[in-house]
Parts: sequence; C-alpha cells; structure tokens
Amino acid sequence: MSVAVEYSTAELMAAVLARQLRPAEVAIMGAVSALPQAACRLAQLTTAPGLWFIAGGSGAVNPHLEPLVASSCDERLLDADAVMPLADVILVEGRGDLIDVFFAGGLQIDARGNCNLGPVGPWRHPTLRGPGGVGLPFIARAGRVVIYSMSHDRRTFVEHVDFVSGPGFINGHHALPGGGPSLIVTPLCTMDFDPPTHRARLATLHPGVSMDTVVEATGFALAMPDRLVETPPPTSQELSILRRIDAGGLLRGGARP
Amino acid sequence: MFSSLEAAIDELVPEGTGLLAVGGMHMHNNPMQLVRELVRRRRHVHRLLTSPSASLAADLLIGAGLVEEVATSYIGFEHLGLAPAYRRAAESGSMKVYELCEAAIVHGLYAGAGGLPFVPLPRGLELSDISSANPEHFRTIIDPYTGERVLAAAALRPDVALIHAIAADDHHNVFFAGAHFTDRLMAMAAKKVIVQVERIAEPEEMASHPAESTLPGFLISAVVIAPGGCRPTASHGAYGYDEAALRAYLKLARTEEGFTEYLLANGMAPAEVPA
Repeated sequence: MSVAVEYSTAELMAAVLARQLRPAEVAIMGAVSALPQAACRLAQLTTAPGLWFIAGGSGAVNPHLEPLVASSCDERLLDADAVMPLADVILVEGRGDLIDVFFAGGLQIDARGNCNLGPVGPWRHPTLRGPGGVGLPFIARAGRVVIYSMSHDRRTFVEHVDFVSGPGFINGHHALPGGGPSLIVTPLCTMDFDPPTHRARLATLHPGVSMDTVVEATGFALAMPDRLVETPPPTSQELSILRRIDAGGLLRGGARP
Repeated sequence: MFSSLEAAIDELVPEGTGLLAVGGMHMHNNPMQLVRELVRRRRHVHRLLTSPSASLAADLLIGAGLVEEVATSYIGFEHLGLAPAYRRAAESGSMKVYELCEAAIVHGLYAGAGGLPFVPLPRGLELSDISSANPEHFRTIIDPYTGERVLAAAALRPDVALIHAIAADDHHNVFFAGAHFTDRLMAMAAKKVIVQVERIAEPEEMASHPAESTLPGFLISAVVIAPGGCRPTASHGAYGYDEAALRAYLKLARTEEGFTEYLLANGMAPAEVPA
C-alpha cells in the first residue's frame, strides 16, 4: 500500500467518485459540481480513459479544468473538448440512452435515494425553501445515479424527503425508466442500495470514521453489509493528479466544492 | 438604433406585465442593468419566468416585492449559498412558487417559439413531485400513438424577455460570447425582447460568430448599451462574477432591512424617493 499522505475529505470523495466511472461512459452533473467534475477528470486520466462528461449549465464537454472552478456556468469551463448549447444538453438528457451516470444531490436525501432540492417542510409553507430541482427529474432516466453530499447529518439524510425533486427508487416498488441510484458518497462513508429492498446500505466507512458516528448522523435506519470495509484512501497518484487539476485548492478548503 | 435604459423599460415593460422572462444562468449573464431599472421604477410583474437556474436578477425582483408568482426550477447562488429574498418570500407565502423543472422551461420555450400548443415530456419526469405541485402547468395526457399516459407541459410565451449579450449592431442583430445558456430560446419565444449589451458590434462581428451564437434584429424590440451591465454577475466574453460583491449582497439581504439598505446603496432607491 502507498505511504500515508495527508488529504482532504473532498479529495477522498473525488477519488471515490472517480472509481465509479468506466471508460467511454457519458456522465453529467449540475450546479455546485466542482467535486464530480474533478472526479471525472481524474477518472479520464486514470481508470476511465475516454470517459465523457458534461459540466452542468456551461454545456462544456470534457472541460480541461485548468483550473477547477466553483461555478458550473463559469466561462473558463468552455476550455473543453467540445461545447453544447445548454438547451441542447437539456434536450438530449431526455433521450434516456445517452447518459450513463448522473451526479445528483439534495438538501434532503432519503433511504431510497430520492433527492429534494426544493421545499423542506410543507410544500406550500416550507420551513426552508431550497433553490429548486433544475434537472433532477431527469435522474429517473439515467443509466445510474451517483449521489454526493458535503453534509452528512440527520437533516440531510431522512427516511422520506418532503418533496421529490429527483426520483430515486421512490417507495422501493416503482418501475423506473433508468437504473436508479447506485451509490451515495458523503464526508463519512459510502452507501449502496440493497437490491431486494432498494434501501441505502452502508458500504464503506472512510478512514477514521466509526460505524456509530455514521448511524448517529443518519436519519433513517441504515442497512448493514455482511462485511464492512474501509474506503480505500486516495493514492499518491490520484492526489497528485487532483492537485494538478485543482491548483486553486477548491477541494482543500479554498471554497466548498 | 439603440434605446435609452429608461425608454426601453418604460415602453416595453408596463406595470403589471403578465409573464416576464429574465435570462442568464447562475451568476452569469444576468441582465442586471435592465433589472435594476425595473426595481428603480417598482414595476410589478404577475409572473416572473427564470432560466433553468436563476440568481441575483430574480432575487432582487422578488425581494423588492415586484413578483406575484415565480416560475422557476432554481434560484440560488451555487457554492455561495441560498437566495435570501426568494427564501423569505416563499417561506412566508407572500409570493407563489410556480414549480417548473428545466425540461418544462426549455421545451416550453421551444413550444412558445414554434407555436406548438404544449409539449409532451420524456417518461420518468412524472415521478418527481414538481409536476404534481403544479397542476396548472403539468397535465397527464394520452399519447395518441401508443395509448400510454404521458406528462405534458404548457407552452411558454413570455410577454417580454430581458437578456444580455456581448454586442449588437444598430439593426438589433445580437451577438453572444461564451455560453448563451437558454437566452436565444427565451428571445425566440417572447413577444418582445430587450437586450442589454456590453458594446456596439464591430463591422466584422458576424465573421467571428457561428450561426448558433447570434439573433437577428427582427426578433429584438430594443437594445440598450450597458457596459458592465451584468455586474456583479459575470458577462461571458467580458468579465467574471464579483464574488465579494455577491457575498456582500447575500449577507445584507438576510433581513428585509438589509435588503432595502442594499437597494439604496446600489442605485435602486424607489424612483419617487430622492436617493
């Protein structure tokens, strides 16, 4: 194994997300997506050569990310292999046979992988009005959905979202046109989905995180795996690529990715 | 022919405009000069339609109490935080949220631009709560070809659209730089269009612009020359967003008093009150 190197939680998460991607797949992400963008670029340079990724509202396809930027519509993203007008991106998201991986998130994420970026609390009189779901309804059509969240607490991880912006497995018994959620990555752990019940199941614990910490921070009963393993930390090669992409240190606390 | 800011707003955005569309995406290409003039004039709109992801332009209009309903799929500031005026208005119920998703906005504008009465949407979009939260806009219909139930959305035909572009010539031909987001579509769907631009187009402007990055003058009602007019949001091709100024807004706008203070400090005192 590689020598222990210091890394940030976001760098660990980027490495985990990158390992989800396979060569020649097409991935897409929306607002506040510096983290999955870094993961996609890392994957292109390591385990997923030929991966394609569309960086949110900019319409940039394979942005070179020199540097990684915080806003998904930043003009610097247009330094890319190709650029699609945003309306074209939204058009082809509907095809259903094109997007292999959709990176999603929410203010609330529930046990079935449903995501809420809209109203928290009663719809008409929300206690917290989130920004809105943008393209999250499209996750129902994607090949698979990878959910990421920079918060892991009981407000974020709930049994049922108050509002479904992005449909996960709904109530667990619903036929989806796409493949549904496959993984959740948080600052504490990764979760996959237990096939028969379609409920989130603890998959790996990040180094130094205890199972009690995760259970305590999760607002639903988390299914447990037969065998619990530690999330493999980023290798020195992964870290050196990430730090070349992210010279400005967005993933190291420069700003929230 | 170029218009003055005052004349363009006066003539084209009357008090009580039914559906006003405002372009840009996130903290980029918000037509802030046009929006600030609306705020200064305290022009009320029945329904504000945003691009798939709105930011400061929408939050200012909402905070100033000028919006009865907002048709949107996102109002926020990405990594900088949530939209304070939008939150306050939606949480207190003083403004109605007309829930849309990006597909309903983009396909709805396409329908508006093309004279399509409505648009059927891709399967799976009915699974989100957005459509059930807005039965006025989303309906379930029977696909006449397959007999299956499909979700449909209404066409969007804004009375007026406010957008930003890098340049325009005196025949109102408009040129975009960088990403033009959903602004061309918004302009094609709207009955009237006001464009604010950074500068007057160079004689050779067309040579450097592919077809998909222009709009012909016959679609445009007025062009206002507004250098720096997107600040503190970015203007692609000209400048980036001013993060410090946006953070300052977000901090002030947390309270109604702070929001009013922001308006006064940024030239948006009500027209009848001497600034």
